[in-house]
Amino acid sequence: MREEFQSGLDRLERMVQEMSDMCARALHDALAALQSHDGASADDVIAFDDDVDGHFIAIERGVEELIATQAPVAGDLRLALAILHINLHLERIADQCVNIAKLTKLSEPVGFRPQLVDAFVEMGSRAEQMLRVAMDSFANRDAERAETLTDLDELIDEENKALSRKVIAGGTSVEAQEAGLRAMLISRCIERIGDNAVDIGEQTVFLVTGEFREFTDASHPS
Amino acid sequence: MTDLERKTSEEVAATSTEAAPEEADIVFEVEGLRVHYGSKQALKDVDMRIYRNRVTAFIGPSGCGKSTFIRCFNRMNDLIVGAKVEGRIVYHGEDLYANGVDPVEVRRRIGMVFQKPNPFPKSIYDNVAFGVRVLGLKDDLDGRVERALRQAALWEEVHQRLNDNAFGLSGGQQQRLCIARCLAIDPDVILLDEPCSALDPISTSAIEDLIDQLKKQYTIVIVTHNMQQAGRIADHTAFFSVETQPDGHRTGVLVEYDRTNKIFTNPSDARTEGYVTGRFG
Repeated sequence: MREEFQSGLDRLERMVQEMSDMCARALHDALAALQSHDGASADDVIAFDDDVDGHFIAIERGVEELIATQAPVAGDLRLALAILHINLHLERIADQCVNIAKLTKLSEPVGFRPQLVDAFVEMGSRAEQMLRVAMDSFANRDAERAETLTDLDELIDEENKALSRKVIAGGTSVEAQEAGLRAMLISRCIERIGDNAVDIGEQTVFLVTGEFREFTDASHPS
Repeated sequence: MTDLERKTSEEVAATSTEAAPEEADIVFEVEGLRVHYGSKQALKDVDMRIYRNRVTAFIGPSGCGKSTFIRCFNRMNDLIVGAKVEGRIVYHGEDLYANGVDPVEVRRRIGMVFQKPNPFPKSIYDNVAFGVRVLGLKDDLDGRVERALRQAALWEEVHQRLNDNAFGLSGGQQQRLCIARCLAIDPDVILLDEPCSALDPISTSAIEDLIDQLKKQYTIVIVTHNMQQAGRIADHTAFFSVETQPDGHRTGVLVEYDRTNKIFTNPSDARTEGYVTGRFG
């Protein structure tokens, strides 16, 4: 029953997983460009964002059409809404990768001190892991696993804070301060990717339970 | 985040419609209602509360007993040979099926509109005035007719041709005329048994707007095959389904009864989810 509707919903879910793969690739490539001070690779990351945006719009239109023509309710409606939100969080992740690539280009040809680069790579691999956990728990409708994202996010947050100490240790020259500001911005971009992964986890819990709640609430800490 | 934003989505959905009904707002208290047609059970053990000034919708597949159930509220099943109603329907504290209760008085206070518009072969005016005259309510007959037609959102369309035959009206107008006929005798509750199933989308929309207006004054119970209609107009929704008995006979059961937004966003029972999402039922 409703085979066309079901296949449309399945197709959108596949597309959002593909979108996640594209984001993982953008993040991986952005970190590689950062590590190798490679402006050309950073340009590739920036250009690739057009593909990501095209995919984002295709999913948005697909969900809009599905809601307009099939009027999904209950679990189907929650899935359509979750896809819509997850799509937006993924698009923002890709935008953060573009920001990292742009900051990489700005820091050419010197690049960052090895100590900072190591910290970025460490944070970035943590963010990649979070994205994978977020999308796997969505695919498996695993609310419990989605909630573990808060623990992973705390690690990134700690690394983000620790980075400021490394920046300060870099010295007070104008060059060191400029590089330090860029380093803080890159660190912030990666930290935001972690936050977006947590947002995706919240959508999984909404899909499974029908209740939307933030895992952590900065303005009302428990 | 503000306090409102901190509430769960269900709490927000609840506050965004209307406050929760209280005990005092109960119009019907249904307890263990069972209906048989001859030896066959049509409806099994229904418990339910219907609240004042709310729209309550019954949805479910054919044969689930929803029309049988709505007909219990004004004792229309009394008119079917072999029909037996057990259990209780308490209406404002009084058992509708108790000895000595006059079914005609029950039907005056609990009016009903059917699937197909069924005007009498009379003028528009006489259709609305019919029940009023039968009840001997002769005072200000013109006023009653006008009020009922206005309440049914039909007055502007017909006031210059009140003496025309009601069959000259469109299907949607005929259905609103039947609603006006029901309203003219000052009911407390209006039962609607698939009132839009024979109407086009524009007439359906007019009836839905009308129901939204009428619930300010009346308690409304509606059977509908159109799930989106229940979603649009009902405050509470009951989902009925069919159980096949060992002898192959099919009996209607109440599966889930809750606020409409709950039924359509996060139903508690997998059978409800299956039906509202169109997967089975």
